[in-house]
Amino acid sequence: MTTATLSRWNRFRESFLWYSFKRDKVAIASFIVLLLMVFAAIFAPLFAPTDPYDLAQIDIMNSELPPVGMPGADPAFPLGTDAQGRDMLSTILYGTRVSLLIGFGAVVLQAALGILFGLLAGYLGGRVDSILMRIADVQLSFSTLMVAIIVGAVFKASFGNLMFGEIAIYMLIFIIGIAEWPQIARTVRASVLAEKKKEYVDAAKVMGFRTNRIMFRHILPNTLSPIFVIATVQIANAIISEAALSFLGLGMPETQPSLGSLIKSGFDYIQSGSWWITLIPGLVLVVLVLVINLLGDWLRDVMNPRLYKG
Amino acid sequence: MKSDTPLLEVKDLDVRFAVRGGDLTALRGISFSLDKGERLGLVGESGAGKSVAAFSILNLIARPGYIAGGQILFEGKDLAAMSERELRKIRGNRIAMIFQDPMMTLNPVLSIGTQMVEAIKAHRRVSTKAARDIALSKLRKVQIPSPEKRLDQYPHELSGGMRQRVIIAIALLLDPEIIVADEPTTALDVTIQAEIMALLLDLCEQENVALMLITHDLGVVSQVTQRMLVMYSGRIIEQGPTREIINDAQHPYTQGLINALPQMGEPGARLFQIPGSMPSLKNVPTGCPFHPRCDFATDQCRKTMPEYVRSGNVDVACYEVSNLIEQEKNMQEAGS
Amino acid sequence: MLAFLVQRISQAVLVMFVISVIAFAIQDGLGDPLQEMVGMSVSMEEREAIREELGLNDSMVVQYLRFAGNAVQGDLGNSYFYGKPTLEVIFEHLPATLELVIGASLIIMLLSVPIGVYAAIRPQALLAKFFMGVSTVGISIPVFLTAIVLIQIYSIGVTVEWFPVDTGWGQWLNGALSTDGGMPSYGRGDDLTHLFGTWYSGFFSEIGLMHLVLPCVSLASIMLPLFIRLIRAEMMEVLQSDYIRYARAKGLSAVRINFLHALKNTMLPVITVGGVQVGVMVAYTILTETVFQWPGVGLMFLEAITRSDIPLIVAYLMVVGLIFVITNTLVDLVYGLVNPTVKLTGKKA
Repeated sequence: MTTATLSRWNRFRESFLWYSFKRDKVAIASFIVLLLMVFAAIFAPLFAPTDPYDLAQIDIMNSELPPVGMPGADPAFPLGTDAQGRDMLSTILYGTRVSLLIGFGAVVLQAALGILFGLLAGYLGGRVDSILMRIADVQLSFSTLMVAIIVGAVFKASFGNLMFGEIAIYMLIFIIGIAEWPQIARTVRASVLAEKKKEYVDAAKVMGFRTNRIMFRHILPNTLSPIFVIATVQIANAIISEAALSFLGLGMPETQPSLGSLIKSGFDYIQSGSWWITLIPGLVLVVLVLVINLLGDWLRDVMNPRLYKG
Repeated sequence: MKSDTPLLEVKDLDVRFAVRGGDLTALRGISFSLDKGERLGLVGESGAGKSVAAFSILNLIARPGYIAGGQILFEGKDLAAMSERELRKIRGNRIAMIFQDPMMTLNPVLSIGTQMVEAIKAHRRVSTKAARDIALSKLRKVQIPSPEKRLDQYPHELSGGMRQRVIIAIALLLDPEIIVADEPTTALDVTIQAEIMALLLDLCEQENVALMLITHDLGVVSQVTQRMLVMYSGRIIEQGPTREIINDAQHPYTQGLINALPQMGEPGARLFQIPGSMPSLKNVPTGCPFHPRCDFATDQCRKTMPEYVRSGNVDVACYEVSNLIEQEKNMQEAGS
Repeated sequence: MLAFLVQRISQAVLVMFVISVIAFAIQDGLGDPLQEMVGMSVSMEEREAIREELGLNDSMVVQYLRFAGNAVQGDLGNSYFYGKPTLEVIFEHLPATLELVIGASLIIMLLSVPIGVYAAIRPQALLAKFFMGVSTVGISIPVFLTAIVLIQIYSIGVTVEWFPVDTGWGQWLNGALSTDGGMPSYGRGDDLTHLFGTWYSGFFSEIGLMHLVLPCVSLASIMLPLFIRLIRAEMMEVLQSDYIRYARAKGLSAVRINFLHALKNTMLPVITVGGVQVGVMVAYTILTETVFQWPGVGLMFLEAITRSDIPLIVAYLMVVGLIFVITNTLVDLVYGLVNPTVKLTGKKA
């Protein structure tokens, strides 16, 4: 470790963020659970007993086995099997991986779009601002989920089922990123408007820096904490959106399941009593989203940024 | 002028704020009294605890503040120990309050008439019609043009000065014994300030209402009030007849305040300033809270809080003053 | 008032124009009417003739104007699957969705206001903390999952045998945690009352109402925590304000202060947010209707997607867009009427 990172680490340990984190049991617990889930998802191939993508490992004779603790369970499948005989534990580990990947990817995309448009709208103002914010307003009044469903439906219709299935991960990142950029753009814009009034921006202008430089080097770093807070919550939202799209059949195909498509494929068997196929991935999804939301709540309380309201 | 039992008597009032890591003391050992029809000024810098003192009289301190000790005797009954139900009968009815900023005081979504009528109906069993008539008569008293129209208007349709007139009218609605006015003119335009203050003074005299005026403006205090309290860092450091204090302030802080007035300096000369600033509640110095800024501070001042001593008709909490009095006494004794 | 209306309506028209362009682009990009109309055997020349006749060779602008002109007259084409005008299909499905939304909105309004207000007035109370905890969990549960859990518990039933059956308390606990199920969770039931036009209502029969319960609760479950949190946050902010303190200084009763002075100021921002949430609600009806096979426009839309019924998809977008625009305009109007500081001139006073 170099001295620079060491001093940074020390600074972090003395910061208010770390201090309030240590005192907040809910935040600590959420963080640990999230860390475990992310870890398990990243290293899914190491932990999973079977590879759900490998058809050779699946035996249809093992279909709809209940989880351990119920009559008829097979200890080889601790969380039971789904209708195709896939091990639930493995599919859930791989599914969490897909859901997290799409969640992070979509937030990276929407943050890129949102920061760019938010900076432009806030810093340039005038016509650029009113056009961008009008689009954001209309999109938000349609609700991000609705926009995602429509874009998803159009893509699915134009690419066809098979093709869509192959590139579904990228499609979903794109769809959710496109649908949710206004949230971040509005937050960025609000903080840019507040920052713009401060002296250092005038100073940078007087010193003759170019607009780009002022926006990205001077203003952007000062708007990072609200972006950070909203991005955290947006990961949870993106994961829910992905699950919703997959549940509607506009998302991940069953051959590469996400948590949402696992819930969907299990839903068909709930009437026959096999509740675990749908409810266990459901529970995992809820826990994942809940811990991210709790961390987001905590961050918002601690950083107390100027978030866009209403 | 003083009767046997004052209308309002505050005894040893302590107010604290419960915050993370222990309590902060906002008011410490506040004692004063107010007679019927008397006008009392409460002076100090912002943060001295003036507003907290004003709100505590109606037991209206916002959480996390609370009354930690002492009594607030109104006609002999302790408001600090009263139930919310009994307090409600006194608030607005026997003791009315005027807030600092008329823009924020009236509810923006209710008409002036509603806000006046509800105040009357909270305390008197009268018809809405009768309540409106009372409201109208009070609006006339505060010289609002076309008062009938005002009743149906909303706060945002009135100017700041007009709103403060409405608030004075609301204060007068139920003919209270005391009006507590917390910086009633600070938020207004300078040109209207004098007008509103004159109106308030006039009405209090007419109706024989006691006025407790919280302000940082020594000029207003000297014109309006008969007695005054000077607060510093949650304590009363000097109290007595206004004229006596203004003409011959005892406490070094009060002297500093008076010397800082523009009219006290020579034209063109630099204005006097008290060096430093008031300590925050989080780190009140030991001993006399003023000692870090005081030219006369001694080790004694740094260690222990001075007791009140009487100088003429004025009570002062300052070792320098008590030493001077002591010396004078000794000299007199030596001389006699 | 007139200026306000003109401003709002012109805004609404602009938004509808954008939506219609998007819808037209979708129709133009995805739909090939020829594929549906003629078989494979038709020759290229004949195809070209039909294209010309249908105006498919006209410029984009001309085609859009024709599309928009027809749309204004209520003609959004025929559904491939149903073989009749798309609007007719939508109006047949719309009442089911509206009843779902009405039922869910009732639940949301009846619960969110008292719970939000209570949590704001007594933030330290155990019950308030419980409500807030449940709300945080609530926004983390996707609507379709709530629906599935509700179906499992109330429709299919749960048999709990975790506790020893040979003891009294074990039996009691097992019984208390088990449910019989039996609540309908499929469609609207077969006892609908005809109101007018295409509106068949489930509000007037026991079977109809029973079928509404689970879907409405599911739909409400996603918005309820949001509104509770919003109302609580707004109310707490209002309770900090000077005019509330002043109302207390006037000696008003707690009931009057909380429910008139504070609540009226709280509800103003809630109305605005609530209006935007109507849009979110429509999106969630698609999910809810899918789970419960509720024959509303959401399910119809999803089926249209799987059937590639392009005209129906386009018509749905137009109708939903219109509904959003109308509700947003209405919300603005209501806000202007409730809030005296907004003079209905389009500007805040």
